[in-house]
Amino acid sequence: MSIRKSIRNRRTRRNIHRDFDLQLTSMMDILVIILVFLLKSYSTSTNSFTTIKGIKLPYSKSQDVPRDSLHLIVTPAGITFDGKTVVSFVPISPESPESAAYAFASEDLTEGNMKIWKLFDALTKARQTAEENNKRLPLRDSSGNPIPFDGVLAIQADQKVLYDTLRKIMYTAGLAQFRTFRFLALRQEPI
Amino acid sequence: MLKRPSSRRRHPPQEVQINLVPMLDALVTMIAFLMFTMAFLSLNMIETPLPAQSESPPQVKEEKPLQLTVTVNERDVVIWSPFNRIKSVTIPHLESGNGRVNAIQVHDELVKIKREFPGENNLVVMPKGSIPYETLVEVMDAARTIEKTDGVISAPNAAGVPEQLKVLFQNVVFGNILGG
Repeated sequence: MSIRKSIRNRRTRRNIHRDFDLQLTSMMDILVIILVFLLKSYSTSTNSFTTIKGIKLPYSKSQDVPRDSLHLIVTPAGITFDGKTVVSFVPISPESPESAAYAFASEDLTEGNMKIWKLFDALTKARQTAEENNKRLPLRDSSGNPIPFDGVLAIQADQKVLYDTLRKIMYTAGLAQFRTFRFLALRQEPI
Repeated sequence: MLKRPSSRRRHPPQEVQINLVPMLDALVTMIAFLMFTMAFLSLNMIETPLPAQSESPPQVKEEKPLQLTVTVNERDVVIWSPFNRIKSVTIPHLESGNGRVNAIQVHDELVKIKREFPGENNLVVMPKGSIPYETLVEVMDAARTIEKTDGVISAPNAAGVPEQLKVLFQNVVFGNILGG
């Protein structure tokens, strides 16, 4: 009895396998829709700026879209440039836990506590690399010289970072021949 | 005698099946590539130049410049001109907003000044060192953009024809990078 049942079951199973055909058309439709959406979004994303963990950007109503440039990130923990942590902030007095994360170590600052020398070194190196790259490029200005260094620095800072920190960063960047700063913020859609 | 019907019609139509699997593979690969390389962050920017020291002697003009300045203090915002071209305005921060800048009033005051000086595009921002970045962005937004509710602000263009302005004070410079 049980053998007979087993044979019947096997037949049924075989029939199912023979007739089973995965319907790929609907899946193709979904994938094509996703692809079109991604292509449309891809065409509007003109920069490759990334963010890092622990940073909370402010919102801005500005309509200017940032173009690719050298990129500096200021988090509560420190300053990151070109994907590497250049300066780490140190905790100060325990009475002020909110501002503790944003204090510079005294050995990181020179020139009347305004120049962040580690950041200056990193920015100068980046400028020199950019200038060398410009020399290798076939592009030349009207007098036949290589395209000059644009001196643009995009700054992505946590919303709680104080102006005093930003001022020191801008001062240091100015010493390293950076002349334009682009402050990045999250897009706030108009109401 | 009737002609014999064509034998071609008797054959059932053959089903043509396109092999979708390679196409599916290509689509999945493309979607994965796009998702990995796409910037999901929707960022915008506020550009400010580093204030440069002029080497040439200042030009003597009959009319003093406006040099519109916004000082952001811990408790208020002061809009003023070092050459007294406008009456200074002090706008206290919002008491209900946990000490946040009263961005609407700052914006309204700047709109009034823009109507008076439509050709002026520069603004000097002088925040105190303890002002957070969030507040700076808020002040710069209030100073740069013209809202729909502000009405029409126009200025004569190069040909002398009045033209509707789309920005308030577009060129924002930090005036106290060296200290102060």
